[in-house]
Amino acid sequence: MGKTISNKSLSVKVEPGNPSKILADSVFKNFFIEVYSMTAFTFRFFKEVWKPPYEINEILKQSFLIGYKSLPLIAITGFIIGLVLTIQSRPTLAKFGAESWLPAMVAVSIIREIGPVITALIFAGKVGSGIGAELASMNVTEQIDAMQVSDTNPFKYLVVTRILSATLMLPILTIFADVVGLFGSYMGVNIKGNVSAHLYFSQVFQSVTFEDILPAIFKTLFFGFAIGLIGCYKGYNSNKGTEGVGKSANSAVVFGSLMVFVIDMIAVQITSLLQN
Amino acid sequence: MKKNTTNKIKLGVFISIGILLLIVIIYFIGERQQMFRSTFRLTGVFRDIAGLQTGNNVRLSGVNIGTVEDISIISDTSVEVAIIIDEKAQRFIKKDAIASIGSEGLMGNKVIIINPGKGGMKRIRDNDVIATSLPIDIDSILTAFKKTIENTTSITSDLASMTKNIESGKGTLGRLIMDKEWRENFEATFINLKHGSNEFRVLMEKANNIDDIVVSVKETIKNTAEITANLSKITGNLEAGKGTFGRLLMDSTTAINIDSTFINLKEGTSGLKTLLEKAKTSWLLWGF
Repeated sequence: MGKTISNKSLSVKVEPGNPSKILADSVFKNFFIEVYSMTAFTFRFFKEVWKPPYEINEILKQSFLIGYKSLPLIAITGFIIGLVLTIQSRPTLAKFGAESWLPAMVAVSIIREIGPVITALIFAGKVGSGIGAELASMNVTEQIDAMQVSDTNPFKYLVVTRILSATLMLPILTIFADVVGLFGSYMGVNIKGNVSAHLYFSQVFQSVTFEDILPAIFKTLFFGFAIGLIGCYKGYNSNKGTEGVGKSANSAVVFGSLMVFVIDMIAVQITSLLQN
Repeated sequence: MKKNTTNKIKLGVFISIGILLLIVIIYFIGERQQMFRSTFRLTGVFRDIAGLQTGNNVRLSGVNIGTVEDISIISDTSVEVAIIIDEKAQRFIKKDAIASIGSEGLMGNKVIIINPGKGGMKRIRDNDVIATSLPIDIDSILTAFKKTIENTTSITSDLASMTKNIESGKGTLGRLIMDKEWRENFEATFINLKHGSNEFRVLMEKANNIDDIVVSVKETIKNTAEITANLSKITGNLEAGKGTFGRLLMDSTTAINIDSTFINLKEGTSGLKTLLEKAKTSWLLWGF
């Protein structure tokens, strides 16, 4: 196409076509190619995950990096979210004279929605971009190719371990975020009131049910899986070049965050369907 | 290698604490839903459950003792509600206990309130059916409240017109309050009444013994009762035509006889009269 346009002597004979149509065609093609290769990547993961060797040490190492190293960030975010949500909700509840409902309301909000989603977004920002950039730079420096040559399955060693670690670590991080968030909320309640920790947590557990916590924790498995998968896919299939690293990291975060919301929307539908 | 081991320990601690926290949360939620306690089950059939949901609390004397387990419609006028109650509360609930549906507040959740029943009855058992009463419906309260407000409005408007009349000196009360002449008359009347009552008191004191008076009044009443009884007897007899008077009043033959007697008497007297007049002129009786 570029040839046709640059070659001015032939431009009279060759139909230039509608440039916007050509662009749309290529966008569509690229989109479906992307969908295909991503689906293939996902199937490959499920195929490889059952096959030995299981690379337990690498999984533990990645879990340490992905899970343990993310804890301070997740804990601070959870604490702030709990505190801010409580302070923000107070005036609205005070209008109805229902300030005593503050712990119950904030607890349900944090455990059902805010805890899992905020944790997943932070996780996508930190871990998704990390995985994307790491694998992309390995790709650029041809380390992945070197692995293949040295009879090590790079998909198994790099991709499967990271996706599994991300899938398993996010639920645990979410539990930490929920608990720290509730402590933040407790402090928020006590800024303008005087509620004992015993009363606060008894009100929290009075309002929270298994229908709140179990689907919320369960959906974070899918969040973690999506973030790990997208990070690995973007890094593993990055362009060969230094800009490919940045691009992979960026698109891993953007697409990973978007997928978190999409999965959340599906999860809430399924949860409400099961509850009725 | 050493660093690797430290990292593994850190990861182990991280995962353990995370799972422990999840277990603690699940335990506390389960504790609230009576999951780890021995419980027993009761069912009650309500006509209307007023928005009760599964998981709502069950209360006895204001203490949460259980939760609503299941709600199912069994016919167009009855809803069966199954509740799970802590076994510790079983000994306080008797066979004649009554369950009703209340509310935690005007906007709060619904709760089942159990009235424990009388002391002498037997304890309620697992899977028993508990008696129920109709829930208090907010709508009916509001309807009653509306009626009360309407009544209050009419009462206050009446009061307003009354006070207006009083102020303008209309009616007895108004004139009493507002009219000086009336008020003075009233005061004079009260003074007279006071005097009168004083005199009455003196009079009563003068009476030797109030008891005697009461006894005599009693006797008088008794006599009066006897008299009236006799009277009624007499009138009864009269009506039945018994006795002279009765026959006089009621018996037609006697009446006719009396009539003819009177006619005869009349005739007799007129004959006597002429005889007397003749006798006056008669020489035989000259000088009388």
